[in-house]
Amino acid sequence: MTLGFLLCAFATLSLSTGAAAQTLDEAISELRAGTYEAAIEALGEISRSDPGPDLSGDDRRRAYVAYLSALAEVGRYEDALEAVNQAPPAIVTELANTAGKILYELGQIDRAREQFLRAVQGGAVDRNSARLNLAIIEWRYGDRDDAFAAFDSFIDLYNGSTPLSSTDLTAVATAVQYLGIREHELFQDALRAYDEAVAADPGSLEPRVLIGELFLDKYNGPEADAALREVLERNPNHPRALLGLARAMKFNGTVGVMDQVEAALEQNENLTTARVFKARLHLEVENHDDARTELERALEVNPVSLEALSVLAASHYLRGENGEYRRIRDQVTALSPTYAELFNDVADLSVQSRKYVEAARLAEEAIAVDSLSWRAYGILGMNQLRLGLIEEGRANLETAFEGDPYSVWFYNTLDLLDTFEYYDVDDEDPRFLFVVHERESALLQPYIEQIAEEAFEALVERYGGYEPPLPIRIEVYPNHADFSVRTVGLAGMGALGVTFGSLLAMDSPAARPRGDFNWASVLWHELAHVFHLGLTGHEVPRWFSEGLAVHEQRQAREGWGHQADPGFLSRYREGLLLPVSKLNEGFVQPSYPEQVIDSYLQASLVFDFIESRWGLQAIRDMLRGYRDGRATPELMESLLRISMDNLDQDFDEYFQQRFAGPLKALEPPVSSPGIPQSPRTIEDWTRVVRENPDNFPARLALGIMLFQEDRFEEAEEHFRAALRLFPEYGGMDSPYWFLAQIHQQRGETERAAAALARLTALNESHYEAFLQLADLRTELGDAAGAAEAMDAAVLIYPYEVDLHDRLAQAHDARGDAVGAVRERRAILALEPADLAGAYYNLALAYVTAGDPAQARRSVLRALEIAPNFAAALDLLLDLRSGASPPRPDRQRSPVDIRPR
Amino acid sequence: MISRGTVAIVMLMATAAGHPVLGQDTHVLVITGLGGDPEFREKFSEWGGTLVEAAGEKFAIPVENIIYLSEDPATDPRIQGRSTRENVAEAFTTLASNSRPGDYIFVVLIGHGSYTNEESRFNLPGPDLTAKDFGLHLDQLSERRVAFANLASASGEFVKALSGAGRAIVTATRTGRERNETVFGGYFIDALSGETADLDKDGRVSLWEAFEFARTEVTREYATSNRIATEHAVLDDNGDGEGSTELVDAADGALARTMYLAADPAAARATDDPELIALYEQKADVERRIEELRELRGLIEQDRYDSDLEELLIELALTNRAIQGQEVER
Repeated sequence: MTLGFLLCAFATLSLSTGAAAQTLDEAISELRAGTYEAAIEALGEISRSDPGPDLSGDDRRRAYVAYLSALAEVGRYEDALEAVNQAPPAIVTELANTAGKILYELGQIDRAREQFLRAVQGGAVDRNSARLNLAIIEWRYGDRDDAFAAFDSFIDLYNGSTPLSSTDLTAVATAVQYLGIREHELFQDALRAYDEAVAADPGSLEPRVLIGELFLDKYNGPEADAALREVLERNPNHPRALLGLARAMKFNGTVGVMDQVEAALEQNENLTTARVFKARLHLEVENHDDARTELERALEVNPVSLEALSVLAASHYLRGENGEYRRIRDQVTALSPTYAELFNDVADLSVQSRKYVEAARLAEEAIAVDSLSWRAYGILGMNQLRLGLIEEGRANLETAFEGDPYSVWFYNTLDLLDTFEYYDVDDEDPRFLFVVHERESALLQPYIEQIAEEAFEALVERYGGYEPPLPIRIEVYPNHADFSVRTVGLAGMGALGVTFGSLLAMDSPAARPRGDFNWASVLWHELAHVFHLGLTGHEVPRWFSEGLAVHEQRQAREGWGHQADPGFLSRYREGLLLPVSKLNEGFVQPSYPEQVIDSYLQASLVFDFIESRWGLQAIRDMLRGYRDGRATPELMESLLRISMDNLDQDFDEYFQQRFAGPLKALEPPVSSPGIPQSPRTIEDWTRVVRENPDNFPARLALGIMLFQEDRFEEAEEHFRAALRLFPEYGGMDSPYWFLAQIHQQRGETERAAAALARLTALNESHYEAFLQLADLRTELGDAAGAAEAMDAAVLIYPYEVDLHDRLAQAHDARGDAVGAVRERRAILALEPADLAGAYYNLALAYVTAGDPAQARRSVLRALEIAPNFAAALDLLLDLRSGASPPRPDRQRSPVDIRPR
Repeated sequence: MISRGTVAIVMLMATAAGHPVLGQDTHVLVITGLGGDPEFREKFSEWGGTLVEAAGEKFAIPVENIIYLSEDPATDPRIQGRSTRENVAEAFTTLASNSRPGDYIFVVLIGHGSYTNEESRFNLPGPDLTAKDFGLHLDQLSERRVAFANLASASGEFVKALSGAGRAIVTATRTGRERNETVFGGYFIDALSGETADLDKDGRVSLWEAFEFARTEVTREYATSNRIATEHAVLDDNGDGEGSTELVDAADGALARTMYLAADPAAARATDDPELIALYEQKADVERRIEELRELRGLIEQDRYDSDLEELLIELALTNRAIQGQEVER
């Protein structure tokens, strides 16, 4: 909750209707438009004027309030207090609420309370706002029951017969929002009252900002974003709206969050909430030094800021500085005994560091100090789910939801939990708990098991015999939104998999379009995380774990893991890639759209570099070092004998050496007269290539254009040139792909197969390439090679009956009976129309595999559907007689036709 | 008194209930409508040609029982005329005069459809024909068993208009509002004219099997290409005007299970050989007991069920072998 904000009444000033105050109206308009300097100058001048024919006493009061508001909005708190001191005694009571708000921002709570009381007792115009502010102080620092009683009185105010101003309606809305903690239905009333406040004074921004902040509290990023952008359309410099938008951007995964916070601080460098938010961003990338600098600045403004102290406590907690953590925690609880947000904030930041056990424990502490902290119940429930404590997690989320049903986070997660009954859970292997949707478990699980077992054994060996806590729960979601909710409580997350320790969740291949990703490679990646988190006690930095996991993918299969492409290398050339020492930021706070993906690849290259220079043992030692609480620079120094600066430099040299050819081939083409700036035609590109024969994009572009016009001979020349320049490029438009097509056109089967073999060794998810390769190898009589290609295709997209049928035949042809059975079972799991045929073929596969009992069961299923199925009856007779059945003809593939 | 030959025929009717009895003929009318662009013209022509070829050559339906109308008669010598409104009307008149009560008639429309002003149309060169128009044509075919398949887009409304006793109506879409191009037709034609859709392995593909096969493959095609399905084929054969998409345990399907383009192989095996007749009776008895046992699935323990099923199937297999042996001797 961000209810700590006192109601800011100063921006809700009604405009004068008198002609005499035209200048005042203009100044207030400037304030609302965010031209603060001009507004401050004009309002200062007006407020210092004596009342006369052109300025009534009330105008001067309004001018003063607006003046103080403008100063406060840009963080000139001391100037504002000085202005209060200079104000004529006659209007001091009218300024008391505004002065109290400023004192509150400075952490002078007792003085703030005095001012609010003065406004209330003196009957100031904004006395209701002052009364609310008193209640908020009581809620934060005093007696909650008294505070709720005070909030409750605002309902009477609303229901009374007196028409309410926008300021009063905003006070009502805020009070009702607090009451909503106890009675969630009132959140809707709060929204309605805010809307009425907007209607009462459409120029007032305060209720609009509060609406945005309310949506942020309810984890409703899109609505918050919309509300705050509306404010910024009117006042692009509004510091709290700028900050709110930064929070919404963070929430919505939009890039540029840090820049947005800076924009808020540029308008108000003393905005403590912005400093605190910035500190949180630093902590997310484990940059404790900068985080603490921000918090110090916040505490200089407001030494008792509960938000700043809480995040500072989190920093100490995450660094293992337990004594300092306890000191600050005690300071906060002494200031506000019921302030659960301290524990919630530390828990939230612990989640960022993948400390889920600790997060759950902290959430329990939050609940102990404030049983109405629905956020704490939510954090507890979510982290229990991450730890595999499904029923406990559900119970706590239900409590959270009962208290706050408007939280999208709680709603989504409970909604997802309701679907868990449709997931099959398999715990046969003591190492794993497979949780796969019933719709696809029969199909997917055999493959998932196979990859999981292989990865587990390989990783145990890679990490010196280490085994993570077992069983590892593997959840596979056929719907990406469900996976996203499982991970962060919200739909729309871009990742394919996530690991919480010995629990991992991932997209099934059904969750994405065909060819979008290689699910087996992702599973291997996530299992690598299980090992890294286990080995380090969850202390491994994000960049390290991600890079190492991609590096492990590369060890598993040729072509797995992220690969360099022209975009990545061009961004390196442009200086966008971060040094190793700052790579964490690329994952957590990307500053350009491709940065997260670039960071995965770059981090994995760091491990290619480290393992090639220092060996695998160095990586194992580093993981152990993290477990012991040591930081990356220290580990680099002590284990690799290299400083972070030198690592940055050496890695850069490695990078330049590794990609020397492609980097040169990606230099911008030479521009000279006669070369078009934006080449479009074959002739244009031919000119570009003539002047830049070693330019990869030009060669590729020209090759593709020629290919599209069936000018294969000419196209081949350029594709081969492109390959010489960037032989590692395996994208969807790789020269290998086009060369394979050209060779096929010419009937050069072997050469086509060779090109596709190269391509598939560079691209883990090029489904079409794997299928074509299988066809060509079959044509070449290479059943084993064809099966290998089709096995790889299944790891991309396992939902095509025809693929499994061909693969079963290939396995059969090379005597892999177990493989043939697996594929025949996969066909059945896909529920083909010809079920009898599919069962019969499975029975044959079982016969070949030497399993007559299973063969009998399968042939019975076939005959149950089609009793007069002659071949199946013959097989049953053979099985019955115990004779080794001859190898009868396999039924035609259940699906070997395509619509024409 | 019943002659021995007659006994054999009666027995065959019992063993292949609902199949055409001797003397019943099958007639086929294939109409390909306006293609629009060359791609569709070629596709529709290929579908029509495939079906007509299978009807004549594979299923041996006499050429005089096959009528093929198309947008462009020049593209295939088997096309008897342009698929105009008038020629379609004439084709139905011919069907009515050439067929007899009890005959099986397959009408297949291949092309584009439309649905405007709550009226479904099949697009032809010249004026289109509405579902009601086809209804009037079908009325001439009373007492025949009619399979009417409209494979066009927006064809769903044909079910309501044409539903009736002795008719199995197949449409590529559930409603007239499913206006996108359909893929159902390709699977359906291939299923009906090939063997791949012989789901019960009896050597023939029924209308039920062709529909079920095509529907399954359409579902898979949309799923594997990650597209939202814009077509949902339906079949209605109980005359209630409501098509079914899923046929297993559906209200529809009984008539469609009995309709084949291929002739009943049992009919060719009509015999007065008492041993063979006894074997046929034995086979029918085993099939009946298998059917009864299947009703018990889930109600008795699985191992016992499998064991009982196996015994019956072995009996069936041996009976079939005996029948084959006896037939060879003949």
